[in-house]
Amino acid sequence: MDRAAADPQLPASVRGRKPRFVAGIRAVVQRELGGWFDAPVAWIALALALFATSSWFLNEFFLANRLDLAPFFDRLPWVYVLLVPALAMRVWSEDLRARTFELWMTLPLTPLQVVLGKYVGALVVLAAFLAGTLPIVAFLCTLGSPDLGRIAAGYAGAFLLGAQLLALGQLLSALFADALVAFLASAVLSAVLLAAGEERVVAVLDGLAPALGGGRALADVLSPLPRYGAFVGGSVGLAAVLWFAATAAAFLWANVRVAERARS
Amino acid sequence: MIRVTDVTHDYGAERALDGVSFDVRAGEIAGFLGPNGAGKSTLFKLLSTYLPVQSGSIELAGFDVVKAPLEVRARIGYLPEHNPLFDGMRVDRFLAFVGAAHGLDGAELAARAEWVVERCDLRSVLTKHVRECSKGFRQRIGLAAALIHDPPVLLLDEPTHGLDPLQVASFRAFVRELAPGRAILFSSHVLAEVAAISDRILLLVRGRLVLDLPLAELEARARARRATLEDLVLEAVRDSAASDSLVREGGVP
Repeated sequence: MDRAAADPQLPASVRGRKPRFVAGIRAVVQRELGGWFDAPVAWIALALALFATSSWFLNEFFLANRLDLAPFFDRLPWVYVLLVPALAMRVWSEDLRARTFELWMTLPLTPLQVVLGKYVGALVVLAAFLAGTLPIVAFLCTLGSPDLGRIAAGYAGAFLLGAQLLALGQLLSALFADALVAFLASAVLSAVLLAAGEERVVAVLDGLAPALGGGRALADVLSPLPRYGAFVGGSVGLAAVLWFAATAAAFLWANVRVAERARS
Repeated sequence: MIRVTDVTHDYGAERALDGVSFDVRAGEIAGFLGPNGAGKSTLFKLLSTYLPVQSGSIELAGFDVVKAPLEVRARIGYLPEHNPLFDGMRVDRFLAFVGAAHGLDGAELAARAEWVVERCDLRSVLTKHVRECSKGFRQRIGLAAALIHDPPVLLLDEPTHGLDPLQVASFRAFVRELAPGRAILFSSHVLAEVAAISDRILLLVRGRLVLDLPLAELEARARARRATLEDLVLEAVRDSAASDSLVREGGVP
């Protein structure tokens, strides 16, 4: 420890200062983004997901010969089943494994600030993935005049669906210190939620007990797929936006509670 | 500056701390001595607000850890025993993050970061990732992070762990310089370490505080008995089952 410099002590008014709510979240976001793009797993997951979605789209595009992004948006939820858990699995698991969780919980930040900061950081990565698919739109525009309004609605739905599944994955990452277990739990739950909204699954469940109409009810209440489908069809409904936001908020609230309890 | 009153903490059926009470004033360096498993790290986790207080009360810099944990965290510099760092971050960015998380920005953050980098001798690893740094550098990075916001209370749990002898000597001098205006509590299981830095020695054995004396007084007692500090401490450990009289009033016979 060097002995040269005098301590530039802070004024009494600054000592003991805490960051404002948004400034605290911003600090967490910057740290998380630094961590994301330093880890090869994020780059690998993004590259694989972009390759898979682009390949699927081009294959279906040349077969169907239609100037729209429907094949891309139809496949996207199932790409999310692997991509989003891969992004979310390390959000908390890494901190629990490396014991940096203790560092988070002894900084003058509320658990809500930390949870939101981590979430926003992961959302930026998700947005980077979606932005990486924009060359497909540019490709369509060079071939003709696709319905850009419908494509924009599809992207809004894609972001909301990803944001919801990311909140779920982040919660599961806080529950499991093992990143692989967090990944598997998140992938399975995401697949179940999406499958519950598939028409074939709804028909099978309704067929098992027609009087109950359980399959349809399950799809309407639990599955994000019907609401996402409405976005892809070009319909941006406020109720659907609120549903995605409310469910993501519920997962994040649970994440805050889990983080608080993990201290003891 | 640090006030711990009758703190008891259990992990399930196991009692980690049993009615521990002590104070540390501003400008004082208190060294917590105790064998592994004595409860030192549990106490530091309670002081840092990481663990919730089960019984008793803890106040740091005038704030209760239960009622105002964020106020406490804003005023402590905490170096945990295992020194958790974000391995994937560059050292300079890690320090900037910790400063920002304490509400520092602009010139204030730059000045504090510059100072801790210089004092903790981190210039050569500043653009390296934390995972590339040696154990000694990691310890210094943790100490720099604990100091960047100029805290009035320093909690250092086994701070010299992993440092070479030269670095240990330098660290002791550094802690001495930091003491004016600050309450410093540090732990070690090495008596020489504690005696070299502290104004006061607290001995924790099996969760109980069995000795709490100014170093000068302990040394005077040792001289009077023609014994060493180590003899007195070992005696206190042996007598810890019936050691109530040793606490506070210095009942070392």
